[in-house]
Amino acid sequence: MTDASPLRIAFFPGCLIPVKYPQFESAIRKTLPNLGVEIVDLPGLTCCPDPIYFKSSNKLDWLTIAARNLTVAESVGLDFFTICSGCTATLSEANHHLQSNPELKEKVNKRLARVGREYKGTAQVRHIVTVLRDKVGIERVQASVKKPLKGLTVAIHYGCHLLKPSEIMRVDNPDYPHVLDDLVTALGATPVVHRERILCCGKACQDENMPAEMMTDLLASVCEVEADCLGVICPSCFNEFDLGQLKLNRERDKHFAIPVAYFFQLLGLAQGYTAQELGLDRHKVKAKGLVAG
Amino acid sequence: MAVKLNFEFRKELARIIDGNLVGFCYQCGACVGDCPSRRYDPAFNPRELMLKVLYGMESELISESSPVWHCTNCYTCYERCPQRVKPVEIIIALKNLMAERGIYPPGVADLIATVRATGRSVKVTSLTERLRSELGLPPLAPVDVSEFEKILAPEEAAKKEGEDK
Repeated sequence: MTDASPLRIAFFPGCLIPVKYPQFESAIRKTLPNLGVEIVDLPGLTCCPDPIYFKSSNKLDWLTIAARNLTVAESVGLDFFTICSGCTATLSEANHHLQSNPELKEKVNKRLARVGREYKGTAQVRHIVTVLRDKVGIERVQASVKKPLKGLTVAIHYGCHLLKPSEIMRVDNPDYPHVLDDLVTALGATPVVHRERILCCGKACQDENMPAEMMTDLLASVCEVEADCLGVICPSCFNEFDLGQLKLNRERDKHFAIPVAYFFQLLGLAQGYTAQELGLDRHKVKAKGLVAG
Repeated sequence: MAVKLNFEFRKELARIIDGNLVGFCYQCGACVGDCPSRRYDPAFNPRELMLKVLYGMESELISESSPVWHCTNCYTCYERCPQRVKPVEIIIALKNLMAERGIYPPGVADLIATVRATGRSVKVTSLTERLRSELGLPPLAPVDVSEFEKILAPEEAAKKEGEDK
């Protein structure tokens, strides 16, 4: 890819990031143009809808709204890039179901026909991390770095929905993922492996105690390896880690203080933006360790 | 003790997307070892859940105190199952049946109502707009949900409405 021909790709922003964590959207909008990616905003998109609760109410309704969103990208002949693991799961699963099950596709298309739409299956869904790896290239990510994050150790939490079900997501090996390790390394930082790196954050579990215990084990394993920060890619996981630490400290007498960063905030720091410009100062656990050097 | 199988329940579950795969379960337990819910709640066991579905033990599965809400939806069982049963999808199909019958945790019902009414899973507040403007991002436009009512109408209702016109 050359500078003369930017990669045009339709943006699927989802709900959680634009509404609750706009600092992540800001980091995306700052860093992608430096990598030759042109963000195309499309009108008419809705919630993906979410792959936990909405899907648990009615799988057919869930699939119908997802297919409707996919028709918006199809109508302009572009692929979608997603920035939330949940949106990625919903839209990828929808493409998979509708492309592998003609009966289901017909059923959903009958519903969409009521508003003059048709799902064709021509728009691919790519999580932004795979766009960086497969379209932009890790070398170009590395070349965009102005201030290498030298000396920064990052414990990476991949989360579940970026990777699984792997036959549909096709992002990375779900047990031994490395795409984020490779990207963090490209920024000059050092990924460190913690014991619980593939444990679920527990967010979807309808229970008070279980997610708190999962989070406690996860954070303790990050403390063990003495990482400077946690690097995440999913806004739901982020909330469990960031606000979650305060809750654990308050309610369970813990003393966690691990800053949490969304990968694109780290990329932003490496590209020379300030912690304030990337909204790192808005996190509950203050990100002192992230602005070292 | 004689076990009475409830095939009707399995048929009902099979109507739902991926709800028909449980018949392939041979109870090997590959779904159990790496299940985080099992690790943090020894009473939660995806293999046992699949067995209860095979028997059609409706009253245990479809109830206010159903164990399925302790599932974290992590999809590890989907990865591990050698029979491609997709246990997590069976669990979600059970939740679909509960939704049909109005048995639902209140927080989950709220979120679904928010998506249907606003097109977003979380509500835009004045804090959202302040954060966005401080970061130099444009305000969020309301989401157009006018198509939802039509595309989400159940098949029978939509057909009837068409005939009326």
